Amino acid sequence: MVDALLRAPSPKAIRHRAFGPSRLIGFLANSREVTLIVLIAALSVTMTVVYPDNFATWYNFSAVMLNAAQTGILVTGMMLLMIAGMFDLSIGSTLAFSGVVAGALVSWWGLPPELGLLGGIVAGAALGALNGFIVTRIRINALIATLATMAIYRGITQLLSGTGITPIGDDFATYGQSVFLGLQTPFWVMLFIVIAGGWAVARTRFFRQYYFIGGNARAAQLSGIRVQRLTLIAFVIMGGLAGLAGVLGAARLNSAVVTAGLGIELAVITATVLGGASLRGGEGSVLGGVLGVLFIALVQNTLIINGIGVFWQNIIIGSVLLLAVSLDRFKQVHRG
Amino acid sequence: MADPNDPPARLAAHEIQKSFPGVLALRGVSFSVEPGEIHALLGENGAGKSTLGKVIGGVYQADAGQIELDGTPLVAMDEARAGSLGIAIVHQEGSLVPQLSIAENIFAGRQPTGRFGNIDRAEMRRRASRLLGDLGVSFDPGVLVRSLSTAQAQVVEIAKALSRDLRLLILDEPTSALTTTETARLFLLVRRLKTNGVSIIYISHRLTEIFELCDRVTVLKDGQVSGTRTLAETNEDELIRLMVGREVVFAREGAAHPGDSVLEVTDLAAPPFVRNANLTVRAGEIVCLAGLVGSGRSELCEAVFGARRHIRGSIRLKGRAVRWTGPWDAMAAGIGMVPEDRKDAGLFLDQSISANICATVLKKVSRSGLMSEAAEVELADGYIRELRIATPSCRQLVGNLSGGNQQKVLLAKWLAPKPDLLIVDEPTRGVDVGARAEIYRILRDLKSRGLALLLVSSDLPEVLTLADRIIVMADGRTVGELDGASADEETVLRLATRHTTIQPEAVAHG
Repeated sequence: MVDALLRAPSPKAIRHRAFGPSRLIGFLANSREVTLIVLIAALSVTMTVVYPDNFATWYNFSAVMLNAAQTGILVTGMMLLMIAGMFDLSIGSTLAFSGVVAGALVSWWGLPPELGLLGGIVAGAALGALNGFIVTRIRINALIATLATMAIYRGITQLLSGTGITPIGDDFATYGQSVFLGLQTPFWVMLFIVIAGGWAVARTRFFRQYYFIGGNARAAQLSGIRVQRLTLIAFVIMGGLAGLAGVLGAARLNSAVVTAGLGIELAVITATVLGGASLRGGEGSVLGGVLGVLFIALVQNTLIINGIGVFWQNIIIGSVLLLAVSLDRFKQVHRG
Repeated sequence: MADPNDPPARLAAHEIQKSFPGVLALRGVSFSVEPGEIHALLGENGAGKSTLGKVIGGVYQADAGQIELDGTPLVAMDEARAGSLGIAIVHQEGSLVPQLSIAENIFAGRQPTGRFGNIDRAEMRRRASRLLGDLGVSFDPGVLVRSLSTAQAQVVEIAKALSRDLRLLILDEPTSALTTTETARLFLLVRRLKTNGVSIIYISHRLTEIFELCDRVTVLKDGQVSGTRTLAETNEDELIRLMVGREVVFAREGAAHPGDSVLEVTDLAAPPFVRNANLTVRAGEIVCLAGLVGSGRSELCEAVFGARRHIRGSIRLKGRAVRWTGPWDAMAAGIGMVPEDRKDAGLFLDQSISANICATVLKKVSRSGLMSEAAEVELADGYIRELRIATPSCRQLVGNLSGGNQQKVLLAKWLAPKPDLLIVDEPTRGVDVGARAEIYRILRDLKSRGLALLLVSSDLPEVLTLADRIIVMADGRTVGELDGASADEETVLRLATRHTTIQPEAVAHG
């Protein structure tokens, strides 16, 4: 009896049963992870059948994974920010800045590569802290604040290094180029970050607070949650992860380029929204974000194999973002 | 009906009805206003006086009933049509566009135009200057409304109303943000309009002002007229009796056995809303803060809870002086607060019941930093049973629950940290009678378990039913204390309104 009561469908579920087409769309909108896994599998199978020689090769797989490494690391931080109802447009610039800092420490000052990596990550976290400070203390909306710092950080990076720092040094490059089990270091770092980050966001008390902040910041504040401080910390984590992505990218190329990460915020935010983050905050999982990254990486790969140009890639990713946001809107409307 | 030989009233309202989802705001209201009369609408919070003003001003459409202006029935009213007929309403919230100049606001949409349909700015300013001059003020009509004080903006609103042939002016709580001198100037202005034959409906709950300014008064109670009086022939006591005198549905029960003092607030000031507050709450008693909306009750609670900074005075909790950096400190020290606005400030509507209840006690439902779903469900199910929250599962989204059940979830959220002092701001706003009885039961039960309870309620019968002691606030000050068992609505209301005089140092500009 009690069990039957507990399993009673929520009004939301009942509503979706009542309308045929909206039931399907409601399902797509509500179990994002399952949907993405199905889409990724379908696309992979199709590509394997159509391009057995180009797609289903280890070389192609490792290339896709390498490309997904940076966005995968970034999506972990972006998902946290979006759960808290925030986001960060400056991640591409932060990434380039961190790469240049690491390059400068190693190549110009002759510091050991480990200190270069650490310095780059700390530099990224510092820029994240500045974003967080502007948003939480000066109270400038995250869109405007990080749009401005996106330009500022990129400009500082160019001022510091001109066209970039090449080469940085072979010991440094080892951290981006060595291969383990057939896949390069950035992939393994990404795997560690998304598993650790996914676990922490889903399970720890500390990160649970971000769901409350994004759900209703005022109610969170009045529930004794330190909203401003935690929001600042989320920006620092985002900055640090952008720094990590930046130093790995620099190590992989053995070069810190000032255009690194240009436009990457589009792919990352698209993956985050596609992965189930709501623009209002309070929802999402790192797993969803990572699946979003894989889906987008796969779409890009498909386009490349089909010989479709880079301009089309931007058009298609932009369209995917609009589609994902529309699904989010649909979900809100159908919640009543 | 009136004698057919009499000239028709300026305004005659017959059996006006208006309902909002879940509330019957006006249940057949009839009254009339004569030409050149200042007619007050008086009533408690929620009695329907502002709604009536907005129906007459065309902001709301009545569900039933008829309004006649100088003998002509008004049909298909909206604000624009009311304006063209000479009915103007000056709202509490104001209707001016801050980014535009005074002149542009006064002539919004009806600017004087030149030969080519261009706006004749010089003419517009000249006419605006003349109107403002008639009102005895000399603003530059080119000044942006943004830079005006509340009182100045109100004068511009009246000038805007006067820019057409004004027949009826509705003023809704016009003095709530004004100082004494500004109020005196407004009254002068209103009397001048009256001598020009304009009728004025003056909505207020300030008895002293009504006696000073108005000719007649219509008292509303629960959306109905409880009487119309000529002010020269009545007194405050009679008006208060007309405002209250509702049947009390819930009986008092459970005498207090208060223990040690839990909260002591001394000379607390958190401007602009809290000016000087003193109160004590002891373990095992319910203290109610009564007073009119805007008297600073909620703000006092927020200051006690660390959600609002105070500049003067002290808060002592269990005998120890405390100072909070935020709600988290107050929470850790044993205070809980159920805020007034449950959707905006209380609940996470898109999240489950269990998530909402556990939001204040994340430590209790986690082991060494990791959330435990089993502990969350156990805690939530415990409160669902204890408070009788009607839901199939603790996984239900709070947004899908009824108002009463949402309120219980909010209470559970604040019972979970086991506070020594629980502040509940409007415990039964927007809940039905059944849930109200349950919430009363829960609050009394908490009292008998030794909790110190500080309630804020605008519902006087509720205050009289629950309170062991009543502390009345007016204009940011605690103005009196009454024994809950012997107090009646009249004494509470008399304290709350008599002390609501406008303080000379009132700030509230902009």
